[in-house]
Amino acid sequence: MSVHALTNHFVNRFSGRLGFLGLTLIYALLVAACLGTLARDDELSLGRNPLANLVKTAGEFAHPSFLDLWFGNPNLQYKSDDGTVLRVENRQEVEADYLAGLGRATWTTIRIATLGSLLGALLALPLAVLTARNLAAPKPLAWLAKGVLDVARSIHTLVFGLVLVGIVGLGPTAGILAIGLHSMGTYGKLFAEAIESLDMAAIDAVRSVGATPDQVFFNAVWPSVLPQFVSSHLYVWEFNIRDSTILGLIGAGGLGLLITEATSLFQWGRLSTVLIVIALMVSAFDAVSRRIRQALS
Amino acid sequence: MNGMVISLQQVCCIAGGRSLLDVGTLNICHGERIAIVGHNGAGKSTLLRLLTGFMPAAHGRVDVLAHDLSGSPSPRELRALRREVGQIHQGLHLVGRLSALENVLIGSLGRVTGWRSWVRHFPADEVSAAEAALHDVGLLARATTRADKLSGGERQKIAIARLLVQRPKLILADEPTAALDPAAAGEVCHLLAQAASHATLVTIVHNPSLLPLLADRVIGLKSGRIAFDLPLSAVDDQKLTNLYRPDETVPAVPWQLPDSPRRSAFS
Repeated sequence: MSVHALTNHFVNRFSGRLGFLGLTLIYALLVAACLGTLARDDELSLGRNPLANLVKTAGEFAHPSFLDLWFGNPNLQYKSDDGTVLRVENRQEVEADYLAGLGRATWTTIRIATLGSLLGALLALPLAVLTARNLAAPKPLAWLAKGVLDVARSIHTLVFGLVLVGIVGLGPTAGILAIGLHSMGTYGKLFAEAIESLDMAAIDAVRSVGATPDQVFFNAVWPSVLPQFVSSHLYVWEFNIRDSTILGLIGAGGLGLLITEATSLFQWGRLSTVLIVIALMVSAFDAVSRRIRQALS
Repeated sequence: MNGMVISLQQVCCIAGGRSLLDVGTLNICHGERIAIVGHNGAGKSTLLRLLTGFMPAAHGRVDVLAHDLSGSPSPRELRALRREVGQIHQGLHLVGRLSALENVLIGSLGRVTGWRSWVRHFPADEVSAAEAALHDVGLLARATTRADKLSGGERQKIAIARLLVQRPKLILADEPTAALDPAAAGEVCHLLAQAASHATLVTIVHNPSLLPLLADRVIGLKSGRIAFDLPLSAVDDQKLTNLYRPDETVPAVPWQLPDSPRRSAFS
């Protein structure tokens, strides 16, 4: 029995109200099993002092470090136990330096996401053409392309990043390649769907005036799929802006590096600043990309 | 072959192991107005697809505008033929994301080649021809409107304007009024007949009241065979009723879209 027949059989078995009830029951059992086994192994604990810790962390978060730019102590003195002044620090200057570094890291993250997304889109395009069912590419090639896309999609960016850091070394290149390889899988799926929803009537309309294949492509296929391609590209790009913030964790540069730094030094105020910057950047990009996607539809 | 636009001899079309069309002889001369009538699945659309090479003939001889379509004609030959054949489909074949004017200009793709046709940068004389065609069908004001924002009647008129720009020798129309209300249907038929004033017109017609607008010769198809081939004046209600009545001796072909060979972008 083929996979398709098997899924069909499965779907038939579980359609209808009784089937749905059965599925709900299975789901409930799964949730209970997850909770039950964790509880049995005593893995559901919240630590020794969750409430106090929460209040402490929240308090530090509530004072993001960038406020020091205005309210920081310009003459912070580090003293030894006997009262001699060891070092004087202008908190405002220190914070300004940190924010400049944060700006550079943000720019690195944007560069990683942008170039990685473009790389993924370019890699995915030929594979999507091969996997789109309505283009009926030769079977072995279609399977191969689908396999490559599925594997790319199932491996997390972070895993790609870890492997690539070992190959090309620390730095944004590893991040760009990691984003590119993982999002290639997503792009491939979205592009193939765009091609599959092509209006064949439009293609026939252009073919029926005796247009050459290149004319058919530029006058019927391209105008139909381009808006969807652009829309998918913006969507994945937007996603990658979020995703690439984490890549610094593995040494690929950008905001993730500052996150690791802040968390390992327990500087929650700085982490708070970084997170605010990420939130602003992501929502700004979201808004722009949504506008463009709406205009395209 | 003088003056002969379409000539079929012993033509048989087979798809999915079933005979869709089986025509002994059919000759159509230049300037004729032909209506094809028949029940669903009688082979009407198959006949039109055969004439433009979208459906291959299993055997027999097919000549359209002096292009031999028997056997497997080359893509180049098919394109040369299709440039001379204007088509109107029942499915409102326009490129939805292009403007009305750009859709009309698609009719000129046979003459405009190379990069200009890729970026839709058409020569000025083609653009003015397209605007004139839009004016003729009364839609010049909608020139910049996207085709998917137009009504069904407007879309068929755009398709007719495309024909005017294409200037074909033969026009094949597959139920051009299928999706239209009676008033729009009359108007579209009228425009179609005008567009075909220097060409041969073959139309698939379902509504008998439109026959006088579009035809002077009526071909009735039944189960893939020609049941009658008469001048319009000889066609009466009785003949049409007989044509549409299920035949007891021949098992009725169950209604089904003709399977077209799977399109491949790679072959």
